[in-house]
Amino acid sequence: MAARIPPGQHLTRGWPVLSASPIPPFDPATWRFRCTGLCDGAEFSWDEFRALPSVTLTNDIHCVTAWSKLDNVWDGVLFKEVAARAGVQPAATHALVKAPYGYDANLPLDALLEDDVLFAWNHDGEPLEPKHGGPLRLVVPKRYFWKSTKWANEIEFLDHDQRGFWEVRGYHNDAFPFEEQRYSWQE
Amino acid sequence: METLPDPSARYHPSMAADPATVWKLVERADELVKYAQNRDPQTAYKQARAVLDEAEALTGQLEQKAADGLRAQIQTRRADIARFDTDRLDGGS
Repeated sequence: MAARIPPGQHLTRGWPVLSASPIPPFDPATWRFRCTGLCDGAEFSWDEFRALPSVTLTNDIHCVTAWSKLDNVWDGVLFKEVAARAGVQPAATHALVKAPYGYDANLPLDALLEDDVLFAWNHDGEPLEPKHGGPLRLVVPKRYFWKSTKWANEIEFLDHDQRGFWEVRGYHNDAFPFEEQRYSWQE
Repeated sequence: METLPDPSARYHPSMAADPATVWKLVERADELVKYAQNRDPQTAYKQARAVLDEAEALTGQLEQKAADGLRAQIQTRRADIARFDTDRLDGGS
């Protein structure tokens, strides 16, 4: 068990609710997910997104505020399934995954295309609650959890790295929990 | 903003505040904002603004580069709170 908990973290049995922004409203009739930037472009309605090939993955999550939560079961669609439908251009090396209220998080495209990165709509068999990012959040288990954008509704593909919301507010660009990469001055 | 100085760096002991103290206040303001949705957001935002005011006051005791970096961080957070507060009242963007 200890090997699964990064340094400076403690185990939580609950699931603390932290959000940079207010919870955005969700209307399945008008919700859209867009792929923009260095790609041919794609847009999905809620029904179209839910019809993409789905997976169930179990992983641990680690918040930079020092709690970790193990054995989370997520249902959703792999990032790479979405990217495959966007016609990503060869020049794309990074992406920002965005949400309402100007929130975004940046990662190298290679990291997002890994087999454990998904857009999740269920957690432990139940629809993801709005306070935890429902209807849809990114899950990137290898990084601190702020990289897992809540209320995700856009991927912007880029040919360069561009820091996201917390990354320009003093937090680490890479955010590997087992290396305790919390702050930008560690870079 | 990407060049935020290391707040753990050593500073002259005659200084009444150090960057780490200011950064801890900034983080405290972040926590108030991040937990705002669990309680009354307006109260949380008001408390966060007060903590940021306290943090900014302390930057006057810092070396210039550290002060400038932290003031930029504080200003960004003030703008975030103003936007979140407005968007919340408007029902979201």
